[in-house]
Amino acid sequence: MFETASTSEVLARAIDLCALRQAVYSANIANVNVDGYRRLEVQFDAQASQAAMTASQSLFNRGAVSNSASQSGVVVATNSTVKLDEEMAAMAKNALRYQSLLGAYEQSMGLLKMAVHEGRGA
Amino acid sequence: MNLFSVFDISSAGMSVEQSKLAVAASNIANSRTSKMADGTMFKPLSVSVRSTPSTYQLIAASINGVDANTLPRPQVAGIVASNAPPHLVYDPGHPDADARGFVSLPAVDPVSSMLELMNISRSYEANIRAFDITRNLIQRTIDMGKAL
Repeated sequence: MFETASTSEVLARAIDLCALRQAVYSANIANVNVDGYRRLEVQFDAQASQAAMTASQSLFNRGAVSNSASQSGVVVATNSTVKLDEEMAAMAKNALRYQSLLGAYEQSMGLLKMAVHEGRGA
Repeated sequence: MNLFSVFDISSAGMSVEQSKLAVAASNIANSRTSKMADGTMFKPLSVSVRSTPSTYQLIAASINGVDANTLPRPQVAGIVASNAPPHLVYDPGHPDADARGFVSLPAVDPVSSMLELMNISRSYEANIRAFDITRNLIQRTIDMGKAL
């Protein structure tokens, strides 16, 4: 059985990363007309796949998921300029992801609540 | 990661677009100004915008983790007068006409001014949208757990 606490911890990291993405997209949009500005993006994929591998190797090892996913994303400058429409689309997508992660977090809290109430009235 | 500081980024973007709008409006309004009050020619103005911190500083910062306070935000660095030569319009009856009957008018191009206005409007809207999405996300986060 997975620990609910570590699940919610991973979810919290993911929500944090979405918040960072929102900040980066906002910065790209705010700087769209600045000469010489290069689009910024959050790089996480390498770390995320590494974390997923560690998690699958030690599926029943408690705490492994939260430890390996504990690093946050890194903001890097790309070589491309900002395209307003792409940035808006990415931002809308990220907002949906943020909201679905919040929903998942709420559900894991619901499980905790059910455990606290010993299965009654959850 | 603090979502509240994202508001500052979007409002920096909006305030830059507002300055550009003011300058563009002034250029258009003065496109038929033959002389300023002190007798000089009106020169079309343009806004130069710079971001702080610059991208290079940002890469150094990313090693130690990034939050919204270290992301670049645009700032008005200065307002520059263009040195484009004035249009000469033949109007001998005009009080500011020269000896040959030509009046010097500022080099404001109506088409590019309109394009500039549209560009400003789009960027401003995009910043408002970003602001709105951030506000929505914060509101959802605050409301989290209400269903429990």
